Amino acid sequence: MIQRLLPFLTLIVLFVGLTIASPFFLTQTNLSSVVRQTAVINIMALGMTLIIIAGGIDLSVGSILALGGLLGTMAMAQGYPIWVGIGVGVLAGLACGLANGVLTTQLNINPFIVTLGTMGIVRGLALIISNGLPVHQIPPRFSFLGEGTLFGLPFVLWVLLLCAVAMHILLENTRLGRHSFAIGSNPDAAYYAGIPVKFDTTIVYAIGGLLTGLAGMIEASRLMTGQPTAGNGYELQAIAAVVIGGGSLRGGEGSVVGTLIGAFIMGLLSNGSDLLGISPYVQQAIIGAVIILAVTFDELRKRKMTA
Amino acid sequence: MLLHLGGIQKRFGGVTALKNGSLSVRQGEVHLLLGENGAGKSTLMKIVAGLIAPDGGTFEWRGSPVRFRAPVEAAAHGIAMVHQESLLAPHLTIAENLFLGREEVCRAGLLKRSRMRERAAALIAQHKFPLQADWRVEKLTPAGKQLVEICRAVVSGSSLMIFDEPTSSLSESETREVFRIVRELRERGMAVIYITHRLEELRAVGDRVTILRDGETVHTAPLGEITNDEIIRQMVGREMSALYHREPAKVGEELLRVERISRKPLVKEVSLTLRAGEITGLAGLVGAGRSEFCRAVFGVDHADSGQVYIAGKPVEINSPRQAVQAGLALIPEDRQHYGLATLRPVGENISLASLPLVSTFGFLNQRAERRIIDTYMARLRIRAGSPKQLAGRLSGGNQQKAVIAKWVARRARVFLFDEPTRGIDVGAKAEVFQVMDELARSGAAILMVSSEIPELLQMADRILVMRQGRISGELPGRTTPEQIMRLAALETTTSEFAS
Repeated sequence: MIQRLLPFLTLIVLFVGLTIASPFFLTQTNLSSVVRQTAVINIMALGMTLIIIAGGIDLSVGSILALGGLLGTMAMAQGYPIWVGIGVGVLAGLACGLANGVLTTQLNINPFIVTLGTMGIVRGLALIISNGLPVHQIPPRFSFLGEGTLFGLPFVLWVLLLCAVAMHILLENTRLGRHSFAIGSNPDAAYYAGIPVKFDTTIVYAIGGLLTGLAGMIEASRLMTGQPTAGNGYELQAIAAVVIGGGSLRGGEGSVVGTLIGAFIMGLLSNGSDLLGISPYVQQAIIGAVIILAVTFDELRKRKMTA
Repeated sequence: MLLHLGGIQKRFGGVTALKNGSLSVRQGEVHLLLGENGAGKSTLMKIVAGLIAPDGGTFEWRGSPVRFRAPVEAAAHGIAMVHQESLLAPHLTIAENLFLGREEVCRAGLLKRSRMRERAAALIAQHKFPLQADWRVEKLTPAGKQLVEICRAVVSGSSLMIFDEPTSSLSESETREVFRIVRELRERGMAVIYITHRLEELRAVGDRVTILRDGETVHTAPLGEITNDEIIRQMVGREMSALYHREPAKVGEELLRVERISRKPLVKEVSLTLRAGEITGLAGLVGAGRSEFCRAVFGVDHADSGQVYIAGKPVEINSPRQAVQAGLALIPEDRQHYGLATLRPVGENISLASLPLVSTFGFLNQRAERRIIDTYMARLRIRAGSPKQLAGRLSGGNQQKAVIAKWVARRARVFLFDEPTRGIDVGAKAEVFQVMDELARSGAAILMVSSEIPELLQMADRILVMRQGRISGELPGRTTPEQIMRLAALETTTSEFAS
């Protein structure tokens, strides 16, 4: 039980430790900035949680984030209203996710390979469409999505909470969620039980893409540009958040709460390092070590459970 | 004494697997190790083979105490284990597998490929294995793979070989082949420990027997001094006559009719009819196409031709999903792989196929789901701590009942049981039979595929026999094993070990 709570305890220890170590940590400005910085990865990681639970992986989310943000801001630059722009970005993400799902299930290719391919294709598309140039003509009010405040809290926190609750319900209270656990845990048994494995898997990737598209719009709003090069390497951070939170790359395991904790642990590590003046070079190594530690403890727990 | 174990203990977390495991094996004997599932046989053998370390007790090898920390240490002392699951590299040839980890190399560090192939071929010929050194392992049947495992133990110069249920996936003729090899190993002075679930195999091969029950050694005796009834009594700790006595059923209307279904290469124009209340046995050798027939009917494999009728109406079944919707259920032979999500709770496994019955617009009604789980866990007497217990942690019998519960909950009417008692202990077999009987009585149609002829004779109202992909005959339920074997039997040829 203690080991199951380990990620949560780590988060608390980090929080308390940073409060003591730095007078700037427990301030509204700093905490909101942690939330805003983590929200993008967090929302992507929610989709990744679902995908990983269903036994898949999506390496293309960094590229999808860029394409979504780019197309959304381009729509706004063309004079369409902000909500249309956001819709375009989200739908672009959905379309990419759908493509990942269809390719994986119809060609029957390992999702690692499929999304490694689409990671390049989608990034290429973003660069081709934009000619490599960022989009700047964005209505100023668009910055509310990433930087605004509602009821005293960052607006993105509300968006994140909404997505998290929706994903939690999807996982725990819907057929698709239950099917995802079954497919990830044993795809053959799921198929034999009459579950539409391919259809459900496709939907899972589509949902992952949709959330990534939304994350792309938040990223664009925070930077107030549509960058074809945005989100480079985010896929690994999203996967890391899921894994630190107890998700298993073998499928069938993972939770929304775990992923949120995982993403915030990484957020606090990087924020804390900034506050304490630890160089970003060292930060990278610390986060890498934490990933390995988290997975090691989780494996030990599972081994005890199944022995 | 070659091997002596005394008072061996082993705990896994809170579960005691062995509390007093004792065993003595002499040179040149075949020692049978018997016990129900969970009695501790496999754990004891894994300790001998160095796969796990004991918590306590004495372990002596050739008279001196030893303690193995890894399988290689056991192998260095001449102990080899043939596992239930194949541990071969499927993409390599038989010869390459035989020398895996002990390759012969020349001075430059390069493999002596042709020399190893020759040595492998010589070894295969010497033991008259129906194999060839350059066959790729992935093309072999389970029986063929088992033979390669045996070969590998011989190559390594072992003096004690452990067989963990070597015949559980083999047909009669393949079993005879394994026995022949075991006898030959004994004549060469090797000791063999042999774990089995099949009582009828005992006499053919063993010298002495040790029986485990609930983690304790309860009896050791020469085989000539103990009767089968006594063995069963020691294993289960209670008297047991026949496994299950079933009254012939009242046969109702036709529920499933299959007409001339074919699926290359193993199913050839098979037709059969299943009626409500009836248990139809399907006998045959391994490789006769019985499992493949079930898979084709259930839509796992597309049938090349043929037609399936449910309650008289033609239906198209191209996937398990369509089969499930048509009221069919398949209880697969390999339940760990195809029947259960072992790392998920048993409750979720039971409700998995019935989720459409307890959800609206894709949202689950948790209370209705819980009701289904509780109902069928009780009805099938599934012993689990709670519905949240992981399916993989249940005993084999309870796992099988969970798979059946999944389909009963889905209100399936036609049940295809593929080797329903594979790998489950004697007591649990009787319970599975009782469940099958109750299903038939409640109006389900049941096909029981089984390689255990005595079990078919106890359960089936009539028995169909398959041979080489075709139905070779139909017999009444009260037939004899000899008649079934006559319809099923084939000459042993090398082709049986490779496809």
